[in-house]
Amino acid sequence: MSKQLLSITNVKIAFAHISSRIKQTIVAVLSVTFGISMYIFMNGFMSGVNQTQSDLAFSTLANIRIYHDLPEDRTNILQRTEGEEVITHIRNAKVIQYTEGIKNAEKYIHILNQTPQVEVVAPEVNINVFFRNGSLKINGILNGIDPEQEDAVFHTADYLYSGSWNEIKHRSDGIVLGKGLARKLSLNLNDKVIVSTAEGVTKHFTIIGITETTLASVDNTQAYVRISTARQMLSENMSYVTDLQANISDYNQAAVLAQQLNRSIPYKVESWQEANGQLMAANTLRNIIAVAVSLTILLVAGFGIYNIMNMTVNEKIREIAILKAMGFDGKDIVQIFLTQSVIIGIIGGLIGLLLGYGISVLVDHVPFKIATLENLPMTYYSMDYVLAFFFGLITTFIAGYLPSKKASKVDPVDIIRG
Amino acid sequence: MSELALSAKNISKYFYVPQTFQVLKEISFDVKKGEFLSLIGKSGSGKSTLLYILSTLDTDYEGELIINNNNLRGKSQNQLAKFRNAHIGFVFQFHYLLPEFTALDNVMLPALKLGIKSKEEIEAKAYESLELLGLKDQAMKHTNRLSGGQQQRVAISRALINDPTIIMGDEPTGNLDSKNTSIVFDIFHQLAKERGQTVIAVTHDDDFANNSDRVLELHDGRLLSDKYREQK
Repeated sequence: MSKQLLSITNVKIAFAHISSRIKQTIVAVLSVTFGISMYIFMNGFMSGVNQTQSDLAFSTLANIRIYHDLPEDRTNILQRTEGEEVITHIRNAKVIQYTEGIKNAEKYIHILNQTPQVEVVAPEVNINVFFRNGSLKINGILNGIDPEQEDAVFHTADYLYSGSWNEIKHRSDGIVLGKGLARKLSLNLNDKVIVSTAEGVTKHFTIIGITETTLASVDNTQAYVRISTARQMLSENMSYVTDLQANISDYNQAAVLAQQLNRSIPYKVESWQEANGQLMAANTLRNIIAVAVSLTILLVAGFGIYNIMNMTVNEKIREIAILKAMGFDGKDIVQIFLTQSVIIGIIGGLIGLLLGYGISVLVDHVPFKIATLENLPMTYYSMDYVLAFFFGLITTFIAGYLPSKKASKVDPVDIIRG
Repeated sequence: MSELALSAKNISKYFYVPQTFQVLKEISFDVKKGEFLSLIGKSGSGKSTLLYILSTLDTDYEGELIINNNNLRGKSQNQLAKFRNAHIGFVFQFHYLLPEFTALDNVMLPALKLGIKSKEEIEAKAYESLELLGLKDQAMKHTNRLSGGQQQRVAISRALINDPTIIMGDEPTGNLDSKNTSIVFDIFHQLAKERGQTVIAVTHDDDFANNSDRVLELHDGRLLSDKYREQK
């Protein structure tokens, strides 16, 4: 009981101090508020940018891609069989690829589907082809796909500019073109286009859709048809695919998972990190910037509180002396001043959470019409809010503790005698 | 009334800055319970220094100090804080009240710190203490709204709240006019006579000193005289 009363008394004194210097208290609260709201805003914005960047990248890049890689360099194949005394000379060596693409893909699709982290698998038959309209001839890539699975992996339907995506499924002569490709061919929706493969197989298609990802490399080269039509053009069986594209629950785990899958799948299993290292690096760098900037702001806020608490201690030094003379010990004094800074931290923190959310919403509505963006990107992860509050409290705690410690060491004789 | 409230044995103290200087030279004396004692001496005689040693605030001395049969030599700061809280009441030249608090809150503080009684009991006791000093009607006022004399009396009420064995005063009437001085003096006298509380006060005021039970005079850090007033 005595313990409790004691702390109530200390808290009461702390409140008296805070409310008697309302201006300083407000400044201290504001510095915490500012620090925390900036932390929230910076992290929300940066992960929003990362999210957008990743979404854009993952519109052409799956988390994991499985394909038949070209064999390694075998130009000196004979050196392995002959000793050093034999001179070999091979001219004009050629690589003969007996198999292309993935045979018996069902087996590997099954393996992927059995892997718990894998969320969706899309089989593809990709062919290098020429698109022709009259005398215009442009080379590009024909993607034989299943529209639903392709959309599940790449959200291709979201980038549809005109026409219908799912119709691919029902029309063997339907083709969806990239916008740039269609423009270069001077073609519009419902026009006809001729596609011919390197082997000379030619087929007429009707344009049933046009996509726009804003990535020129995609829009200028890609076209989509039903997967069975693509197999037909290559004269391959119904289990033939060139690529298996898979998305997993946490894309950061792709590299690890790719390594595991490599053991059971005899083809190249490539994670997005391997395929596009820059994206990974950019994401990480942005996160580092966000954390560095917001922690710096919190640190500055901490200095502000430290300063104000120091001033308070100096201002109240006679009170501290008399409290000590009356029998308050060092622990009580620390409690009194630490309570003040923690109160400041909590109030500033709560306001900071609201303000941070407010700023985020505001920035989220700033128009930003570049690429596929409408507004500036923003995320609202509750973890950012929890961490911001946590860091804010830690900062105020440390910033308050140092002056409190100083206050607790005040020698009442020095102060009272003057 | 013959029990000892305080016993000082061979107390010496040195100042080291700017140069080593012995302020107090082997001072020994005993104080009985219920005694009203004045410490006098010229400025620089060491009387305030002695008071701060007696009040346990200053621990940097040689010799022995026993209050209420407790030897206070070598106790930690926190132990001494606890001891002061329970056994010693302070009245300084300046009142040192907490300006954000009411008179009542100020008086209650040391008892809340001691934490033996319930809040209600402490409040009743604080009212009683304020009443003793004629301030009951000022209890709910903030202390910065009180006059100098009233503030000093609130400070005395605060010193009394835990029924301390000894009340220490450092020029307790130094800032007061003659009317308030005599009020404060009468209260000290009453406390010593009726409650058996010991009062030790450093003073410049000759009238104050001459009317107390016992006067100790310090000169250059030595006890010059130790006079008892004749009981009338």
